[in-house]
Amino acid sequence: MTADMPATLTVPSPRFWARPWVRFGVRRLRRLLVSLWVLVTASFAMIHLIPGDPVRGALGPTAPADLVEARRHALGLDDPLLTQYLHYLKGLLTGDLGTSLASRLPVSGVVAQRLPATLALAVLAFLAAVVLAIPLGVVMGVLTRRGHGRRTELAFTTTGIIMATIPDFLIGVVLVYVFGIQLGWLPVAGDDTAAAYVLPVFSLAIGPAAILARIVRVEMVGVLEADFVRTARAKRLPARTVYAGHALPNAVTAALTLGGLLLSALVAGTVLVENVFAWPGLGSTIVRSILTKDYPVVQAIVLVYGVGVLITNLVVDVALALLDPRSKIRED
Amino acid sequence: MKGRWTRIVRTPLGLTATVLVVAIAALAVLGPVLWGSGADAVDTDAILSQPSAEHWAGTDNLGRDILLRVLVASRLSITLALLAIVITVVAGLLLGSAPFVLGRRPGRLVAAVVNIAVAFPGLLLALFFAVVFGVGATGAVLAIGLAGAPAFGRLTQTLVAGVAERDYVAAARTMGIGRFRILVRHVLPNIAEPLVVNATVGAGTALLSFAGLSFLGLGVQSPSYDWGRLLYDGIGTIYVNAAAALVPGAAVLLAGLAFNLFGESVAKGLGIPVGIGLRAASPARAGSASGPERTGQGEDPGDRPSDVVLDVRDLEVTVSGPSGPVRPVRGVSFDVRRGEAVGIVGESGSGKSMTALAITRLLADQGRVDASRLDLLGNDLLAPDTPARRRMLGTTLAMVFQDPMTAFNPTRRIGAQLAEVATHHQGMSRRDAMARVVDRLTAVRIPDADTRVRQYPHEFSGGMRQRAMIGMGLMGTPALIVADEPTTALDVTVQQQVLDLLTAIREADDVALILISHDVTVVGEVCDRILVMYAGRIVEDMPAADLAAARHPYTRALVDAVPDMNTDLDELLATIPGRPVDPADVPSGCAYADRCPLADARCQAEDPPLAADQADSPRHRVACWHAGEALPAQPDDQSIDELVESP
Amino acid sequence: MSELRFEDVTVRYGRTTAVDGVSLTVPEGAVVGLVGESGSGKSTLARAAVGLAPLTGGRITLGGAPVPARGRSRPLQMVFQDPYSSLDPRMTVGRCVAEAIPPGGSRAGRRAEVERLLELVHLNPACAAVVPSRLSGGQRQRVALARALAARPRVIIADEITSALDVSVQGAVLNLVRELQRELGLAMLFISHNLAVVRYVASHVAVMRHGRLVEQGPTTRVLTEPGHDFTRELLAAVPGRTTRRSTP
Repeated sequence: MTADMPATLTVPSPRFWARPWVRFGVRRLRRLLVSLWVLVTASFAMIHLIPGDPVRGALGPTAPADLVEARRHALGLDDPLLTQYLHYLKGLLTGDLGTSLASRLPVSGVVAQRLPATLALAVLAFLAAVVLAIPLGVVMGVLTRRGHGRRTELAFTTTGIIMATIPDFLIGVVLVYVFGIQLGWLPVAGDDTAAAYVLPVFSLAIGPAAILARIVRVEMVGVLEADFVRTARAKRLPARTVYAGHALPNAVTAALTLGGLLLSALVAGTVLVENVFAWPGLGSTIVRSILTKDYPVVQAIVLVYGVGVLITNLVVDVALALLDPRSKIRED
Repeated sequence: MKGRWTRIVRTPLGLTATVLVVAIAALAVLGPVLWGSGADAVDTDAILSQPSAEHWAGTDNLGRDILLRVLVASRLSITLALLAIVITVVAGLLLGSAPFVLGRRPGRLVAAVVNIAVAFPGLLLALFFAVVFGVGATGAVLAIGLAGAPAFGRLTQTLVAGVAERDYVAAARTMGIGRFRILVRHVLPNIAEPLVVNATVGAGTALLSFAGLSFLGLGVQSPSYDWGRLLYDGIGTIYVNAAAALVPGAAVLLAGLAFNLFGESVAKGLGIPVGIGLRAASPARAGSASGPERTGQGEDPGDRPSDVVLDVRDLEVTVSGPSGPVRPVRGVSFDVRRGEAVGIVGESGSGKSMTALAITRLLADQGRVDASRLDLLGNDLLAPDTPARRRMLGTTLAMVFQDPMTAFNPTRRIGAQLAEVATHHQGMSRRDAMARVVDRLTAVRIPDADTRVRQYPHEFSGGMRQRAMIGMGLMGTPALIVADEPTTALDVTVQQQVLDLLTAIREADDVALILISHDVTVVGEVCDRILVMYAGRIVEDMPAADLAAARHPYTRALVDAVPDMNTDLDELLATIPGRPVDPADVPSGCAYADRCPLADARCQAEDPPLAADQADSPRHRVACWHAGEALPAQPDDQSIDELVESP
Repeated sequence: MSELRFEDVTVRYGRTTAVDGVSLTVPEGAVVGLVGESGSGKSTLARAAVGLAPLTGGRITLGGAPVPARGRSRPLQMVFQDPYSSLDPRMTVGRCVAEAIPPGGSRAGRRAEVERLLELVHLNPACAAVVPSRLSGGQRQRVALARALAARPRVIIADEITSALDVSVQGAVLNLVRELQRELGLAMLFISHNLAVVRYVASHVAVMRHGRLVEQGPTTRVLTEPGHDFTRELLAAVPGRTTRRSTP
């Protein structure tokens, strides 16, 4: 952030570090780095936490001892732990994620090949969830504000709970059955055509969208009771100005605070949905690798997912800081 | 307590969820006993058959009946989910209460770790632990249990922190009670309800997560089977027999839903505060209906002095309570003249704020307003809302609310919030409006107004925000300012500045003021006239100068209950026994009779009218059968306060 | 000898100094009023005395010895502002008061003690069986006083104990405070933002601003001949000074 502001750096004004945006940036960056370090360390520790010898586990009980030994050496597993850790960190910095036990190919290549499909799925589902949920939640909030629409509220809440409960892979299975098998309208596997995106994106987006819409509605109802909305009405503004100008930004801000976690859960949700739709992404790869005990691949993909989550959280926090000036100064 | 739980079960949602949970529990217990052998019976003649009368959901690749297998699998599925949620709850409670028990530094470290872990979704954590603990049922229980722990820990931590802030925890600490004992005795019992609700929802989530892991082939391994495993097998044959996938899927869903709905309906049932939430029955329809006790005093409009700014006759506010309609304002009549300052005094629940919201038509959806007359500057406020009336109200009626912290929109700049009035109602351009804002903020003595307009409300101090609020009212040319407890949230010195400001505005432009307060001294200092409210009625209407000669026993007690700078230090302060009247249960007769030392049989039976009772002061009206009578001397030793009756 | 002394007490939270070198004495058997605006540090000073806020500098002594911060003997007790927050909603009044009684003694003895304390604060002993939600704000505040008395304190700190109460019950609580002081000889640090209330209960008064003590002395002297500008400003802001006549 400071890199493209050399002018401010050469003549540092004493108030520079006190500015809300600068303080927010520094604090947020610090949190990001700590989280990243925890993530990297956890992914490194994963292999060492597995009871027994991971190489023996991967190669099976019948593999000759000298082969296991040679493989352990090749992976550096016989070095002291600290050396291994430093080696791992150095590898990450240079883009070296290790070598697959199964295919003997560099893991970075596997990730590079698989990442785009997962990324496309996650981003589209993220957008679909937000685009579906926010207008729905806002409209429902206005319709069910205090003293209004008890029945609408009950129907909406119940439907919401049900939609949110159905796990994404079950939605996927049902969608495959209805649109793929019964109706035959849409492809049920692969990512070759645009039509192939429809079912996976919807399976992934519906759950989070239902929860997010409920949160937005509750926040909207709450905000409509807030003192400042009463102030806006005391200014005798037309109803749509009160809703759109005063209630909406606050409701969305509050909803985003709670909904941020939801959106990062969506990133992880790709694992299940990819397996339903045979999607050629990271999710189907990690499951296969766990089953074949190809730990370097698992390690790398866990890391990539983790980074995806951290980026999502960062995006949400920055969006919040833009929408609500107070969130910049709020400590965690 | 009991009542709340039965009420939850009685809602359609709660009932459905309860029935489902009980049914699933019964199935888990009985399923393997009843159908255990049938589910394992191999039928090589009917491999992968379609649903039929014999096999309702078809058979699997060994010819075993899928429906029976789904029924039998309920026990393992539920058991594993419950084991996982136990791990989650135990680990979560440890993580969540650690910061409270361990104290500052180690506690902060635990909280930081939880904070980082909670950012990662449960599924990702579950995959991580599944790798560590290995593929299989045990690994999956540990993985799902531990994956839920950060979120549950975070929830516990938030709840514990909320209770730990309460003064009863501080009080226990000052008594020397240990932190662990405080946790067990004071904190956990007070957060048990939300924890139980969340654990229930968590059980549903764990069930679904198990299905997810098994579906990926990482959970239960054959020959054991749970719903997820059956689903995994069924997906493989979905083109042959869709029921093989859909039936276990439906079972998972139904069970997950049962737990979630149960938790949600309990949460909803417990979340509604009992007896407080006065809900509105129907949207207020302005002027469409008349009050039941409309007296319709035949007062000619010509009789009214022409300088009346606000004229209120027989005002009633009705809101709907938990048991039928409640009337917090019961027939209030008064007028306010040009430049006059009228104070409305009363305790919480007296209906004074409801009156303010009703006369300014800001009650909106909260209740219904009836009156035989409600005129502002000759405009009937009971008539339907129109743009023209909005413009009239927006420019001539100013409101100041109690809490300046919450009365401004936190996400918009102060300048924009004030300018809105001018752009909407006075047709000003943005630039002109902003110039007017700077001018008005300067008028309410906000320094550097031209830079202040670009700031957000949180950058203003409390007193400055309240002045900006008054400035908002001055954007038009107000004839009436209604201020509802405008200084209650402020410090005394700031309170004085705000009151001085209101007085100055009033004197400069002959603006009328309605000042609502619980503090009789504040009102006495600022206002010309004081209306005392009790239980939704005006019980005394008098010139402020007469405050020391108040005639209603309630007003006299109010004045004598609080010491001022001249109170005789050797005298006891007045006390009022009992509690204020609950608006849902107003007694017949005088509402104050139960607390009044002068009350007799007539007071219990007949409600006294508000009338002038002394010929020499026609502007002093009082609603009391014993106005001005001598109060019995207060006993030296105060009587023991009687225990309040059961709710 | 049970005089409560604050000697050059400082409390810092991070970079902000909440209390800055305050020295103050509550003599045996006297009620000392402490006035100031929100954020002046008066509540922090109280919390520091009972060990709820960490001292950065100075010391607080009771009868010449440091105030005990460990163990069950707590001769300094505090009554909090909001009686809706200071009583555990799940605990009956009786258990709540009994919890504060120093350990030891028979069960019957403790029950008798609870009854005695409730009567002392003019509550029906039958109150012991109910939970706080059944009581009014004024009754709750009296339970809080009984609980503080149960610990057999030598000094009580009362932190804005009337400001969360409805006007009609404030008088009852203030009357009780004066009665306890007169009949039990209880020393008290009485914190309030309301000068008139302090005038009514306290013989001495101390004025705080921005964490510092700006003035202290006998109440009649401070309120009639204030020595500091801020005290004068506070006095001028008391509502009702300008227009109201004295009550007969």
